[in-house]
Amino acid sequence: MSDADEPTRYRRMQDLPSTHLLGSGTSLCAGCGGLGAFRELYEVLGERTVVVNAAGCMSLLATHPFTPFRGSWLYSAMASAPAGAQGVRDALDILIAKRRIPADEDLDVVVLTGDGAASGMGLSATSAAIDRGLDFIYLCYDNEGYGNTGQQSSASTPHGARTATDRGPRGYPGVKKDLFALWVANRPAYAATIIAAEPVDLARKVEKAKRMKGPRLLLALAPCPPGWGFDPKDSIEIGRLAVRTGVWPLLEYADGRVVRTKHYEPRLPVERYLERQRRFAHLFEPRRDEQTLAAIQTAVDEACARVT
Amino acid sequence: MYRIRLHGRGGQGIQTGARILASALFVEGFETQDSPLYGAERRGAPVSATVRAARAPIRERGLPARADLIAVGDESLLGVAAAGVLRDADERSWLLIRSGVAAEIWRSRLGRSERVATFALEVEEGAELPLVGAACAGAAARMLGVVSRASLESALERELAALSAQARAASAARAFAAWDELAALAGCVTEEPAPIGAPLPRPDWVDVPLDPADVAAPDIRVPLTSVQVRTGLWRTLRPVIDDALCRRCSWLCSSFCPDGAISIDPDGRPCIDYDHCKGCLVCAAVCPPHAIRVEREAGRATEPEKVG
Repeated sequence: MSDADEPTRYRRMQDLPSTHLLGSGTSLCAGCGGLGAFRELYEVLGERTVVVNAAGCMSLLATHPFTPFRGSWLYSAMASAPAGAQGVRDALDILIAKRRIPADEDLDVVVLTGDGAASGMGLSATSAAIDRGLDFIYLCYDNEGYGNTGQQSSASTPHGARTATDRGPRGYPGVKKDLFALWVANRPAYAATIIAAEPVDLARKVEKAKRMKGPRLLLALAPCPPGWGFDPKDSIEIGRLAVRTGVWPLLEYADGRVVRTKHYEPRLPVERYLERQRRFAHLFEPRRDEQTLAAIQTAVDEACARVT
Repeated sequence: MYRIRLHGRGGQGIQTGARILASALFVEGFETQDSPLYGAERRGAPVSATVRAARAPIRERGLPARADLIAVGDESLLGVAAAGVLRDADERSWLLIRSGVAAEIWRSRLGRSERVATFALEVEEGAELPLVGAACAGAAARMLGVVSRASLESALERELAALSAQARAASAARAFAAWDELAALAGCVTEEPAPIGAPLPRPDWVDVPLDPADVAAPDIRVPLTSVQVRTGLWRTLRPVIDDALCRRCSWLCSSFCPDGAISIDPDGRPCIDYDHCKGCLVCAAVCPPHAIRVEREAGRATEPEKVG
């Protein structure tokens, strides 16, 4: 049996690591869904990592002279985290080949990037890294906008959401870019969607990705209290609703096919998710925008029908 | 020239309040400047915003050396050294505190002989946020005595245009309530002539010697330095675990805390690290037996800060 076939350690909440590896005291917003997902991931991945961080909200993790990490952190411009990861990977490989460090002191190279960098500026560097078969984990915290600068629309903003740059009555006119599908189309070693509100599913996927080699995507929906307009205490609840309505299906790509790792049937209507966020308030007030609500529901239904 | 500083926490509309005040002064024919200061920190973190207003062109830049009026939207900040509420306050400065505690009590707490005013404003749970900032602007405008009710109204309309009609009306009502409450002090704040060209003291950083690398770059050499940053100062509400109701499930609150600020002690009891809890209250929202109650931080304002 190869490593990748090992049964999971994570079946119930009680199996999750009980020690928190990531330091507290970071200046990220209270209730940050991206920080929640990253902290859960870091606890499973362990401290033997080098985090290559594209500019974004998570820039606030390590603001000089403070760091919440137990290992190294490399900061990069928005477009170039995968290129930075290549450099780190190469350096580690060379040091091991020259026996300047023993092989068992190897580190996992993790790119940490927001959706703005991942599906916009950093996409070509990401695409090239997948082409080269770079051995790295790519964690994107998707808060569906340029959260660090006041939630302007990004390529990842959902249809109809009001943002700092789409303030009109119809919100963002575009359609959310499907970063997961982009990765899958390029046959990476592994790709999965995750969310902080489902920590067992998250831990199992991180555990699986950790055992593999090659380009691996972990795409986390990151509920954003100030950007999406909800109370920080509802961060987990909003995440649960994203999964239970099918807005954020928990998917996994391995061995050439995409499967759903967690089913909630029947799915809740998308309204239950949308009505909790100020960015969608214009769909309900002053009158219900039936057309847009129906379009969002149809898009979710179709996306869910494509995977089993 | 008037130099006014507003203090609050991220999310209370303090920046908006400064804009309203500057706008109202502008409508009155003043030249104005307004500039918020909030660094990289977010909702709940201390923020301030400065307004300058003069009948002649303003040539001062940067932070004013002193303030004629300091308006504090959140009394808990007076106990937070990092918020710097009283910096640059001298015996001429007026201090305006949003508080249910009488002005004379604040005078004795703060060791000031006079020039402290208070106004009351209860903000109910879930209210739209700019209320506090707008109320501070209304109160400050009245204390200057040079802003008419009509100019304040026009500034409120202009600066709150992006909010819903209901939120606009609520904020305006709070601003006028504070305006009315401070009628007795109308005109108490007077202009200070501009100290343009006054010699500035030589900055003390000029002769700072270079630090050794492990001091200058601790984020490379020492892990987990972020715990030195006490983000617990951000909190306006405090989660408190009721030991009798806690079922020692030992995972939900701890696993979902985005900041990793809840640890589990050896007998399975969760323990909140108040130095780092930002008060997002995710823990209270996810606790199945509702064993985590929520208390206001206000009233703790005069507790001495714990050092280190």
